[in-house]
Amino acid sequence: MARALEVPGFDCEEPFARAAAKVVEVRVAEVIEYSAGVLDVADIERLHDMRVATRRLRAALEVFEPCFPRKRHRKALKRVKALADALGERRDRDVAIEFLEGFVGEAPEGDRAAVATLIERLRTEQREANDRLTPYVAPKRLKKLRRRLYKLVKVAGA
Amino acid sequence: MKPRKVKGLDPAAPLGPNAVRIVRTRLDELRTLAPAALEPLASTAQHDMRIAAKRLRYVLEITEPCFGLEAKVAREAAKRLQGVLGDIHDCDVMLPRAWGIESLRALLRTRRELLFRQFSELWRDEVEKETWAALERGLMADGPKTGL
Repeated sequence: MARALEVPGFDCEEPFARAAAKVVEVRVAEVIEYSAGVLDVADIERLHDMRVATRRLRAALEVFEPCFPRKRHRKALKRVKALADALGERRDRDVAIEFLEGFVGEAPEGDRAAVATLIERLRTEQREANDRLTPYVAPKRLKKLRRRLYKLVKVAGA
Repeated sequence: MKPRKVKGLDPAAPLGPNAVRIVRTRLDELRTLAPAALEPLASTAQHDMRIAAKRLRYVLEITEPCFGLEAKVAREAAKRLQGVLGDIHDCDVMLPRAWGIESLRALLRTRRELLFRQFSELWRDEVEKETWAALERGLMADGPKTGL
């Protein structure tokens, strides 16, 4: 699983708002970094890493909420939550498919066809979840999110 | 589950005292949810506790350098709780979808029971090891450590 990057110059004595700016800046960079290859269902760990990075960004936005202008913060958080939800929908299918693929070989003969059908249904849902996720992880959209968050960070860090 | 509002946060004040307030609130949330979640079939309470464990884990991940070793220990415990409660939730989500596949339903029920046992043992161990009490003492007695 993706480890959180260290936040350079993090200091407990500095103002809460300045720490907020530093943390959010690093966390948004992590989200962008882990976005490569997330739509590839052959390597589900990539999506998992981006999901964890997005959770960390969301947590930072929630922890430091009082440091940001309310309206801009609400809009930014809404966008991060939407990305997290889209990643979560795909992840739920990835996990279920992985579990069932491990089980199908051990299932009694009479249940195997039904398990295989369930896996197929989940594969369809996985493709649909990937389709819904695609616009959220488009480089242009992620760059826009980064710009939005950098602006937010600028206000907090000033 | 909406997070409990943290009172008295001040953007102009140092990070440390603000971090104390947030961690204290999130720790309290987690402990409050435990009795209900320790009922074997309380899936909603277990789901809420997973969210609370996740919130505590991530706030500690951000603010850990402001505290002592007890914060790292608590963060790792919160991560373990989040993991096992997440696996329980996966069973709960999968079970209705396994309708008509008796072997799969039996496996999911057994797995859930096993995971629930792991969760209760994990919680009991952390309480006995004073993981949460130590974190609370760290927050109350010394306040945040400064200068990293």
